[in-house]
Amino acid sequence: MSSGELGQIVVNAVLLSGILALVALGFSLVWGIMNIVNLAHGAFIVLGAYVTFFLHELLHIDPFLSIPVSMLVLFTLGWILQRGLVNQVIRAPLLATFLLTFGLELLIVNLINFFFKADLRSVTTGYSGAGLTLGPARIPYARLGALAVSMVLVAALAWFLKSTRTGRAIRATGMDIDAARLTGVKVAAVYASTFAIGAAMAGAAGSLLSMIVPFDPNLGGTYTQRAFAICVLGGLGNVANVVLGAAVYAFVDVFVGASWPSLSRAVTFAILVILLIFRPQGIAGKPA
Amino acid sequence: MRKGVAVLGSLLALGLCLALPKLVSSYRLLTYTRFLLLALTAQGWNFIGGYTGYAAFGNVAYFGIGAYTTGLLMLGRWHVPFFPALAAGALVSGAVAILLGLPILRLKGHYFAIATLGVAEALAQVADNWDSVTEGSTGIDLPIRSDGEFFYYTALGFVILGVLCTAWFSRSKLGYGCVAIREDQDAARMLGIDTTLYKGLAYALSAVFAAVAGGITAYQNVHVTPGDFFQIDYTLEMIIATIIGGAGTVAGPVLGAAIYQLLSTYVWGRFLELHPTVLGLIIVLFIVFLPRGLMTVVGRRRATGERRFRASDLLANVRAHRVT
Repeated sequence: MSSGELGQIVVNAVLLSGILALVALGFSLVWGIMNIVNLAHGAFIVLGAYVTFFLHELLHIDPFLSIPVSMLVLFTLGWILQRGLVNQVIRAPLLATFLLTFGLELLIVNLINFFFKADLRSVTTGYSGAGLTLGPARIPYARLGALAVSMVLVAALAWFLKSTRTGRAIRATGMDIDAARLTGVKVAAVYASTFAIGAAMAGAAGSLLSMIVPFDPNLGGTYTQRAFAICVLGGLGNVANVVLGAAVYAFVDVFVGASWPSLSRAVTFAILVILLIFRPQGIAGKPA
Repeated sequence: MRKGVAVLGSLLALGLCLALPKLVSSYRLLTYTRFLLLALTAQGWNFIGGYTGYAAFGNVAYFGIGAYTTGLLMLGRWHVPFFPALAAGALVSGAVAILLGLPILRLKGHYFAIATLGVAEALAQVADNWDSVTEGSTGIDLPIRSDGEFFYYTALGFVILGVLCTAWFSRSKLGYGCVAIREDQDAARMLGIDTTLYKGLAYALSAVFAAVAGGITAYQNVHVTPGDFFQIDYTLEMIIATIIGGAGTVAGPVLGAAIYQLLSTYVWGRFLELHPTVLGLIIVLFIVFLPRGLMTVVGRRRATGERRFRASDLLANVRAHRVT
């Protein structure tokens, strides 16, 4: 591996980690607060990608400007799904919510497939091919912009959870639902907004992904798995852990992918399983 | 009196199962065989997922190991007959499950689920790349036996064996120990239950069932590839079947597999393109209204005397699990 290749690998890993952090953050919020592993997270990402694609294709809206729209769409959908379905089984055994969100994923992805077909699509803008050169490595502007937007959104969510009344209510509910209820928190509304915020984050990630990778309705599944792996790596609990987990995962993923392309998933999962066995609380998480 | 009815009903059902190949077309028989094989994997999953409460998401790994071991033994220099090869596949799977189970059964909840999923993914890639043994993604070809009745009766025999095995398990010390682990692992350990041993045995038992189903499927399908025999759909189907029927019950997995196969076949025929949508909808409805499976409908009468299951109980299920 030459130093030029190595430089490009490092750049790719950094650029990837931004979006992965955004994907994993919504996922970890829902998991940490509501104890739901949302297997439909990837489907939300795909929906975000399609919102941006169609706004660009039909109305010629710049993909970066359509991010708020896709976040709003996914926020609304997330709210409705939580109130209508997820909330009905939230206290059932773990496997029930697992399978419910799996069923939702199946349903959403297949409906997208049915209406928009399985064609590979991508959002191409005037600046899609452009980029800047940093030594031997190339950095496309779209990826750089995606990294910037991800970081802004991650920081905004961290601030929201820490400093606003609603954010504190969300964290309090995650810590102790009964105590939160006693202090006057409307738990059902908090759950709905948590799920909706998670979906909105997925929507934003989908919009960003639509600019940098070609996508089809099945894009989401791998990102759900990655989000899971990142949450395990970083541990649940706070935003910084998730960002750290995303960075570690991105580097492992990019390096393994460059070194052993045919075994990349086996190696990544093997590392994950070994880590789980020795540090079940994650790299940064505190011992339970 | 009621017991007599139950025995009579079981005998009738058994007779119907035995006579079935003479009554339906060979294509239909294939569907029934698929149902039996699904029931077999679901029965296996029920030990670890239902009774012990560990959400194993990688049981397809043992399905694949069973298929490959059976296939490879029947081929090449050994030419082992089918049933010994099947037994060897089951043994290998059980041994692998014990070895892998020792570290990963220490994990709990979602973490255990993803670790098992990871193991299955990793094994699929190993099968894909280990060309000298598995022939990689090309796969292996078993001796051909195009005898639908043979596969039907083999699968039926194992499912009946599975029902007996589950019935024994649910009344054995091992079974009670596993249920105790499901309800409260620390308390179970305090009572003197060797939790590592019990969990390992339940996991190995589930692997053996998956391996038998895998071996039979391999012989029936003739061609075995990593893509076909390590796909996550098998894991999901066995879990869905068990949940629909009722996890942690003797008849649940078989009942659930029958319903799932029935719905799936019907939906395939009616809505080819929307098949996954309808399947997703069915899963969602089942989880919302019957999160503990159909056996709560069937088993209720015995538990509460004469009271039958009412439609209002569906809403009661929802009310019990929601947050307001």
